[in-house]
Amino acid sequence: MSVVSAIEAATPGVTIRARGLHKSYRDGEREVTVLRNVDLELEAGALAAIVGPSGSGKTTLLYLLGALDSPDQGSVEIGGTDLASLDGARLARFRNKMLGFVFQFHQLLPDFTALENVMMPSRIAGRPAREALERAQSLLGEVGLEDRATHYPNQLSGGEQQRVAICRALALEPPLLLADEPTGNLDPATGRRVLDLLIELQTRRGMTAVLVTHNPEVANRCANIWRLEDGVLLP
Amino acid sequence: MRLWSWNLPVPLLLALRYARSPRREASVRFLSAVTAGGIALGVGALILAVAALSGFQTTLLAEVLARSPRLQVELGRGVDAQAVRRTIEAQPEVESVQTLLVGNGWLVHEGRLEPCEFFGVENEVPRWFPGAAGVEVKGVVLPDTLAFGFGIESDARVRVVSPRPTLTPFSRQIPRSRSFPVQTVFSAGRSEEYESRVILPLDAARGLLWESDLRFDVEVDLGAAPVVADRLRRQLPAGAKVVTYRDLNRALFFALRLEKALMFVGVFLIVLVASQALVSSLALLIASKRRELGMLGTLGLTPRELRRTFLLLGAILAGAGIVVGGGIGCLAAWALDRYQLIALPEQVYIVDFVPFRLQPADLLPIFLATIVLTLAAARTAGGGATRLRPAEAMRR
Repeated sequence: MSVVSAIEAATPGVTIRARGLHKSYRDGEREVTVLRNVDLELEAGALAAIVGPSGSGKTTLLYLLGALDSPDQGSVEIGGTDLASLDGARLARFRNKMLGFVFQFHQLLPDFTALENVMMPSRIAGRPAREALERAQSLLGEVGLEDRATHYPNQLSGGEQQRVAICRALALEPPLLLADEPTGNLDPATGRRVLDLLIELQTRRGMTAVLVTHNPEVANRCANIWRLEDGVLLP
Repeated sequence: MRLWSWNLPVPLLLALRYARSPRREASVRFLSAVTAGGIALGVGALILAVAALSGFQTTLLAEVLARSPRLQVELGRGVDAQAVRRTIEAQPEVESVQTLLVGNGWLVHEGRLEPCEFFGVENEVPRWFPGAAGVEVKGVVLPDTLAFGFGIESDARVRVVSPRPTLTPFSRQIPRSRSFPVQTVFSAGRSEEYESRVILPLDAARGLLWESDLRFDVEVDLGAAPVVADRLRRQLPAGAKVVTYRDLNRALFFALRLEKALMFVGVFLIVLVASQALVSSLALLIASKRRELGMLGTLGLTPRELRRTFLLLGAILAGAGIVVGGGIGCLAAWALDRYQLIALPEQVYIVDFVPFRLQPADLLPIFLATIVLTLAAARTAGGGATRLRPAEAMRR
């Protein structure tokens, strides 16, 4: 299936199918295996959590699902598209259209205002500036940050930064949202509010979402929970 | 923010922001300023150096060309001089043709003897004798250096002795000689070759010098001379030799071109060093923005767009350097020339100040070479950004 048809077919959510994922890294002389024969299947519109202790391979798995890295063995299909069939530029385009990312440390671009950060995916996609601007303003309004739009990331609180990051992830209404410890860097109260917002937006849009966390409270909000232990994914 | 309301490509938006962002690290800001400053310095220095050289060369060339025939046709043995003259006069660009007879001999006055080059002139003294041009020749026209050396008064007579022999009734060969009144004395200026050039009436010269040294001096526009020369070379018989001011000053023209090229290469080294600083500056920026570039890749920016971002950033820094350096260089060259700010001893040089001349033909290679070099440097540095894999860049 082509990227474009995958995008068109992926509204609102998208299926994820990963088979036999294997990933290892070389640490000097030593080879460290991070993922061992991981199979994962998720229906369109589902909300899933992958839990596990630090270093268990959660982030690596998320990167493989998000086309940020490639497995040593196995395959990942998003909305029927095998990620291995895409090269550098087409993979970048696929990430732009199909995936929204939220990271533990917001990863906002420090040289750009909150509004510009949220506009970025739309501008990369080639959307007209006016449309990208209106969309970003609408999203920031939706999370209560309309009056912080012209602030730079370092002028925002941790919770505000994470809300901007969520807006950026949703800018192009991607069918799949991937979040890596989205509340991990926030105090419990702010973390709860950000998680509420994330789940509310995901539910309202019907998108598929995968949350990586070591926080059981966060995982318990999700319908599907997997546990990753020593690189093995357990239901 | 205003830029973001325009439909500019994302690499350009990123490059513009990175170029002026106050949030960049101090070291990157400093290196960027040094880079743009270095390019500005190089371009400014190059413009000043080339403008000074062009100023000198223009002045020197004007001096040389004023003392140089535009086009001459030398006649070999057996060539029909009248036919050659008719061919020359048939050329539409030719303004006038004059017969000259040139030969060597001696000038004698009151027991003193000086070797001289004699010019037998048909009508008026040619344009390229600056101190005597236009004088209708009836007697001897002498350079002031010779006149001063001989201590000649205005009504004096001098004897011209030619190596062309004449046969006496006793079958002896003796050099030909003839006495002439001194008609006028002209200023030889700074040119040494004019210090021994003596002008005679053509008819008198014919009796003294060899006829084989006959030539035609052709007055023609400077720009048209090479074209007319090429045409005459095709039309004239093999014994006629066509020479232009270029042929007569070939060594000088070559030296001037070589001098300018070497000066360009020497001063361009500043730009070369600045372009290396550009590579360092961009590489440092890429290293310091590793995580952000990874995030841009995560958001869907392609490796090619990342490379283009840094190419554009390099172009912006180089452009700033070229504009500032070019502006300062041109302004300084204009002011130095207009107000003659750098004085020279007039006795030593042909001008009493350093002339600066700005010519588009000089500026264009400077700008083009700087742009090409800095873009190549930016492209090299931008290659580092394309090798970043989002997953590796995002990992702490």
